Amino acid sequence: MNQNAPSSRHSISKLATSAPPLILLAILALIPLAEPGPNTIRLLFVSLVWVTASVAWNILGGFAGQVSFGFAVFFGLGAYTTAISLNAGLDRLSSLGLAAIVGAITSLLIGMPTFRLRGPYFAIATIGVSEAVRVVMTNLAVTGGASGYRITEKGAFNQHLHFYMALGLAAAAVAISMRIRYSKFGLALIAVREDEDAASDLGVNPFATKLLGHAVAAALTAAAGGVYAGYAAFVHPNGVFGFDISVAILLMPTIGGIGTIWGPVIGAVVYGLVQEELIASFPQFHLLLYGGLLILIILFEPGGVLGLLKKSFRLLRARTGIGVHT
Amino acid sequence: MNIVDFLNLLVAAVLLAGVYAAMSVGMTIIYGVLKIVNLAHAGFLMLGAYFVYELYTRLHIDPLLGVLLAFPLFFFIGIALYWLLIRQIPRSDQPTLSSLLLLFGLWLVLQNLGYLVWGNADRAILTPRTFSTFEIGPIIFPTIRLVVFGVALASLAGLEFVLHKTWFGRAVRALMQNSDAGRIVGVNVERTAQVAFGIGIAFAGAAGGLLAMMYSFTPDFGGSFLLRAFVIIVLGGLESFAGVAVGALILALVETFSILVIPSGYQPAIAFSLLVLALVILPDGIAGLWKKRQLWT
Repeated sequence: MNQNAPSSRHSISKLATSAPPLILLAILALIPLAEPGPNTIRLLFVSLVWVTASVAWNILGGFAGQVSFGFAVFFGLGAYTTAISLNAGLDRLSSLGLAAIVGAITSLLIGMPTFRLRGPYFAIATIGVSEAVRVVMTNLAVTGGASGYRITEKGAFNQHLHFYMALGLAAAAVAISMRIRYSKFGLALIAVREDEDAASDLGVNPFATKLLGHAVAAALTAAAGGVYAGYAAFVHPNGVFGFDISVAILLMPTIGGIGTIWGPVIGAVVYGLVQEELIASFPQFHLLLYGGLLILIILFEPGGVLGLLKKSFRLLRARTGIGVHT
Repeated sequence: MNIVDFLNLLVAAVLLAGVYAAMSVGMTIIYGVLKIVNLAHAGFLMLGAYFVYELYTRLHIDPLLGVLLAFPLFFFIGIALYWLLIRQIPRSDQPTLSSLLLLFGLWLVLQNLGYLVWGNADRAILTPRTFSTFEIGPIIFPTIRLVVFGVALASLAGLEFVLHKTWFGRAVRALMQNSDAGRIVGVNVERTAQVAFGIGIAFAGAAGGLLAMMYSFTPDFGGSFLLRAFVIIVLGGLESFAGVAVGALILALVETFSILVIPSGYQPAIAFSLLVLALVILPDGIAGLWKKRQLWT
């Protein structure tokens, strides 16, 4: 964002791409002033936490093509780190920062043994990691083990404060995702996804690239877990390390459109708004629906909602002839 | 620990290794031929368990016969799923994003269909065999484990025969070594892949039945065994059948003997720790170690 625009056309297109998100952000920031009621704010808050995690997963899964089934481990560790540091007297922002650091370090522990190798090792390892950490946290006495861990609130509960923290984090996640996508680092991530050998021949270090992508994604997800913990004021191993969380985090970008900037945002909003209804009406079987959805998307529209929109747009344009240069 | 305890644990570990090998071999054949990690493996283990259970409780069919019946049934389920799902996704020499997400979705569907049909109550297959034992000197053999071990070994021997003595087996091994070269010498890749997928699912279903004779189960039953199967095939080098046997033995030994030092609450984390350890120390698995030695000598 700090380079000077080389031509006016360039700066106009830049304005065109950065203006709508800023307008969206402004509208979202003004919502609490309209006093829409605590339940609406809560729903928005949860959706924004999901947006952060979804955008984060996409940085590694979408840009670099490395599928992780274990992002709950970062969400959970972020939640626990924030809870513990809040109780230790740290302020909210530093707690989130600490959570992000813990997430990034954990991501290195998972990435170092697995990213060096070709093949499915990373995906395989991530299947087990959340479960392993959940088991350890359930047995760990320091954090309350299976009874969970409570945050002692110091001031009065301020829902708007939590909403703005979630909004700020989600906006930061989207900004980071945009910044990465059009940077050299982002191109390296995509090169690794497309062809690791070719990328390596062109001077990209696939190992370091994947490791860094994983760390950024993990830090953001851990911060999302932290924001969530601050709101809920209670964390439990089966909740924050749950299999559902890992499934949700990979499902959202898939719904919206893997590898795009706005796909994961759309997916997270759809998921955030729908899942409450779904869990209320099908408490046992929402995972069945999610699994079916995953299969259908991969078979019929790997581009997700965004891909579907683009296709219908193109179809519309071809039918009506609008915007077609002949 | 005295020598008798040691021998008892050793016997338990070896007997466990048999069923572990049978449970993992299906994943190896699917990975070897299709380069797909069958994440839905856990779902088929679970379905196999309930299949044998339903046959036993409703029709009073002996669980052993149930396991034998599981082979053809799950083979055809595998063939159908290959036609329906697997052949739709682009083929690659590495697991792709779409194959991983597709099979993960299939796992979620199978697991939660299990909850829909059977609920989350614990089930177990109890036959007169279940609690009987016999002893040779001071060493105790649980009958059921011996039987399961025998069936597992027999099915592995059958697979070994097919792979080494039939045209199909040679085609499978050719594709595992080099799929392009296999195509050049006239292997029908699509057909071979379909049958290989069917065999992989057949082994998963049958192994689920075998596991159900030893443990109680819920629709979530496959999950912990999925991770164990991963550890075993990674230890074995992903594509080696001999490696699977060795990997199964290592995991069974570690799990059995770790009871002595690690609190039981932490047991589920053992498989994962072993997986990470294997990745750090033996990235190519035991088969890789073997290959390296051959290169040096």
